[in-house]
Amino acid sequence: MGLSKTHLLNVFFLKLWFNIKSEVSKTYLQFLWWVLEPCLMVSIFYLVFGVFFSNGADDYIIFLLCGNIPYFWFSKSVMNSTNAVIDGGTLINQVALPKAIFPMLVVFQDLVKQIVVFACLIVFFSIYGVDTNEFWIYLPIIILTQLLLIVAASLLVAGITPFFPDLKFLVDTGLLILMFSSGVFFRYQDVIPDKFHDLYFLNPIAALLMNYRNVIIYNSPPDWSSLMLMAASSLAVIAVLLVFYRRNETRYARIVAK
Amino acid sequence: MTKSENLMVIEDLSLEYSERVSLFRRTQRLALSRLSFSIRRGETLGIVGNNGSGKSTLLKVLAGIFAPDSGRIVRCYENISLLSISPGYDPELSGRENAILGGMLLGNSKQEMIGAIPEILDFAELNHVADQPMRTYSTGMRARLGFSVAFKTNAEVLLIDEILSVGDHSFQEKATEELTKRLNSSQTVVLVSHSLDQVALLCDRVLWINRGSLIKIGPSHSVIREYRDSNT
Repeated sequence: MGLSKTHLLNVFFLKLWFNIKSEVSKTYLQFLWWVLEPCLMVSIFYLVFGVFFSNGADDYIIFLLCGNIPYFWFSKSVMNSTNAVIDGGTLINQVALPKAIFPMLVVFQDLVKQIVVFACLIVFFSIYGVDTNEFWIYLPIIILTQLLLIVAASLLVAGITPFFPDLKFLVDTGLLILMFSSGVFFRYQDVIPDKFHDLYFLNPIAALLMNYRNVIIYNSPPDWSSLMLMAASSLAVIAVLLVFYRRNETRYARIVAK
Repeated sequence: MTKSENLMVIEDLSLEYSERVSLFRRTQRLALSRLSFSIRRGETLGIVGNNGSGKSTLLKVLAGIFAPDSGRIVRCYENISLLSISPGYDPELSGRENAILGGMLLGNSKQEMIGAIPEILDFAELNHVADQPMRTYSTGMRARLGFSVAFKTNAEVLLIDEILSVGDHSFQEKATEELTKRLNSSQTVVLVSHSLDQVALLCDRVLWINRGSLIKIGPSHSVIREYRDSNT
């Protein structure tokens, strides 16, 4: 019963391509928004924290970009995934599909956009005069680790929301808390007392941002132990969630019936 | 392989809808109640019943979209397809793109669908708008495209839910003709329809359900006659 794995992959990538096309065609500025939206966000943060609060450190914009851009990638993917299975309700009631496809489509759609954003970011860094160093070759590893974290978080919220719709509100609040607590716009050394640093880095977003900045700004290698821990725990969570999806495969159709 | 070989055996199948009414209270409604029947290879089985009798729910269980709460289904076939008018259609995409993706969701390969597109557009009479976004289509145009795509599937078992009531009169005739062709070619079909004439015309056997329970299954003319009598 059901469609074969290779066929599902073909469907997945065609649907991914069509989803991107469809989303792009809905606005006048089309895919310019992929870059414009993060630019606007960062400008607001720069205005508030760089100018109003005169966080006058040199190159604050670079510091801010290293925090904001990865954070927005995480928060957008997770937010967009929250309703992924519910929004797929019509299709779920017509074809027996593995439901994990729906959040994965969201994650990959956002990944495509993020690759463009990262490319623009590197262009901006070189124009601004940020010196590259040999540790930049580790950036793809940090990005991949973040991708694993995003997959885990997105599968989690998308899989649970149909059973527990109230989660939506908790996700919104949670993402806001993460934004203020992960060092997006402050140096953790200035704010968090030394003895709490270990505790602080249990927050995976804080650990990720520290790693991005280590490599891009501070000319140092990433903290391998935190990356390994994050990748391993993300993979474990993904494995558990895939079992959860499989167990509940036919329950989703009844919950999200349209 | 005999003609009466069973493709699907449904034993004691029940399904209950449970709806949350408040934080701790749920209501239960039995949608399908202890159904037992079988589907034979090559036959066309009609399902009739009043609104809310569980016809569509039964099709979803047969398609594997819903799992029954109790009972079991023995399946002896490779693939099954629930024909729907619009499997995941995106209004921003063109009719051509939606047709390709829709056909793939019904189990066809991408190459098959790309090859079948001219034929599909011809049949749906939509050549002139094939590359327009689907949101510009009328309901009838959408339904015509959906029907034409649905009939490209090569699944062993077709489950059809009210699909023939689409489009204008001339398209309905064309669609019924196409379906009849399909039925005569040893295709196994389960058909839900409110048009008793159509069921009588197309089906070998008919299953009559009421409020989720099986009332009768048998040769189409006798079951339909009894169903008609019960409704008058």
